[in-house]
Amino acid sequence: MTARWEVSSRYPGAVDTMTEVWQHRRLLRFVGDRALRKMYRRTVLGWLWLFINPLFPVALRALIFGGLLGVGSDGLPYFLFLIAGTVVWEVFSTSMTWGTRALEMNRDLSGQVYHPRAILPVGNMTPSLLNMALKVGVFVLALAYYTVRDGRVYLRGDWALLVAVGALALALLFAMALSFFTSILGENTRDMRFALGGIMSVWYLLTPVLYPLSQVPAEYRGWILFNPLAVIVETFKWALFGVGEFYGAAFATTTAGVLLLLFAGLIYFTRREARVVAER
Amino acid sequence: MPDAAGQWVIVPNAREGFGARAREVWHYRRVLLFFSLKSLQSLYSKTHLGVWWIFIRTLVPLLVGSFVFGTVMNISSGGVPYLVFFLTAQIPWNCFDGPLVSGSRGLEINRQLLVKLYIPRIILPVAGLTRGAVEPVIVALVLLGSLVYYRVTDGTWYVRPEPQFLAGLASVALSLAFALSLTLWTSVWQARGRDTKFVLRYVVGFWVFFTPVIYPLSQVPPDLRWLMHLNPMTAPVETFKWAVLPGMEHSWSWFLYSMAVTGVIFLGGVWYFTRSESATMDKI
Repeated sequence: MTARWEVSSRYPGAVDTMTEVWQHRRLLRFVGDRALRKMYRRTVLGWLWLFINPLFPVALRALIFGGLLGVGSDGLPYFLFLIAGTVVWEVFSTSMTWGTRALEMNRDLSGQVYHPRAILPVGNMTPSLLNMALKVGVFVLALAYYTVRDGRVYLRGDWALLVAVGALALALLFAMALSFFTSILGENTRDMRFALGGIMSVWYLLTPVLYPLSQVPAEYRGWILFNPLAVIVETFKWALFGVGEFYGAAFATTTAGVLLLLFAGLIYFTRREARVVAER
Repeated sequence: MPDAAGQWVIVPNAREGFGARAREVWHYRRVLLFFSLKSLQSLYSKTHLGVWWIFIRTLVPLLVGSFVFGTVMNISSGGVPYLVFFLTAQIPWNCFDGPLVSGSRGLEINRQLLVKLYIPRIILPVAGLTRGAVEPVIVALVLLGSLVYYRVTDGTWYVRPEPQFLAGLASVALSLAFALSLTLWTSVWQARGRDTKFVLRYVVGFWVFFTPVIYPLSQVPPDLRWLMHLNPMTAPVETFKWAVLPGMEHSWSWFLYSMAVTGVIFLGGVWYFTRSESATMDKI
């Protein structure tokens, strides 16, 4: 049987794109590998950065906000509280940063061979997964330390743990959905990358990582919940420690919204990718 | 020039002392102006919003930060509204962190140019500072706006127009000078390796927490305050707050300490920059 090629000008839909990405899943490893290699290339400290990254900032922030300024933490040790929130926040923000740069970083690759471009933002997020794994390691150590020190079990350890994993996955999916937009936009206008830095630092402040949502004055709490990341972070901490509240409706809305955005992102990406690659 | 035996001798221009350097920079002052303007333009060129972009980028983080630190975390502000306190402390701090980051990129971003023609290299980090100095001006404007706002709502001016104001100018100058002195070191490192960019981002990001910018120094336990003061940025920020806001305290002796530290780092920086200039040029 001879192979039949169909040449068409029709855009593939979101489902087609996802199927194609799945068929090329072996490329994901390749793209991820490239991203990992680029991570700390041309730096003197090299891979040491991987270990400085998750530890140093969290410890310093805990010292200032928990120790000096006495910010609340829903009754948990502040360090534990902070690192839990940071795991979720960083998996989102780092994935965003890497996903946004995906097309630009892999220019050489896209110019040479055909591959579904949608693979690039997805595969480029690998460094953030590695970061997350290391932070989870620090979290587990801290948890063990505080459990032994205080003789108190902080982790609730029931079915809700699944919700925590779900929240973490949702943060990743949210970053992926946004990256489908930002990587295209970032390819055209270079200031996307610079703008992203500013947006992320403001977004960080508006997400209850440094402080618990319960500390936000009641009249503003409703507004903070419009931030999908706030919902995800709060749900994560609730599912792990049983502190704070579970905002069920907000979490359901956020999940639905993220999935919808992912779908829209895929469609947007497939419509624009050809033009972006051609216009270089 | 040909010597007595008629042979040519190439003599390196060995006059690299401080005076000779300063004279050279003065000689090239137009180039300095050119690079300063260029670094200013890069703030907003190629963005859709243009100049407005600078305002948004400065204003939004300030307002959000003031909300989170003042309203949510309830950090004390020594009797004035937190927004006023926060904006005031930001001015000397921004005179430091912005110029430091932008000045450090001076050599790195002009790499292409440096290998093609000669200019006194020290001009580049100095010109890079200009870009960072825009932000405190905007913050000052925002502070002015907030003062008018509180005059209308609370019926008081929170800033006192007294001779102490001059001390505020001195602290701003000190912050800038400190940024410049550090830039002489960091710009060289940054031209050599990418690490500096990461480290600098980290260090500056955390330095702000160890400087009384988002909180008053009175929040620090009294026996630890000397430790805070070892940070040369503490004194200018504290003096600036004392000069502008009512009911603040500061100490001139720590201010002098910061000046001394800045002086040492500056002189060391000039020496280091000059010494490593040619080695760095070979590497980039």
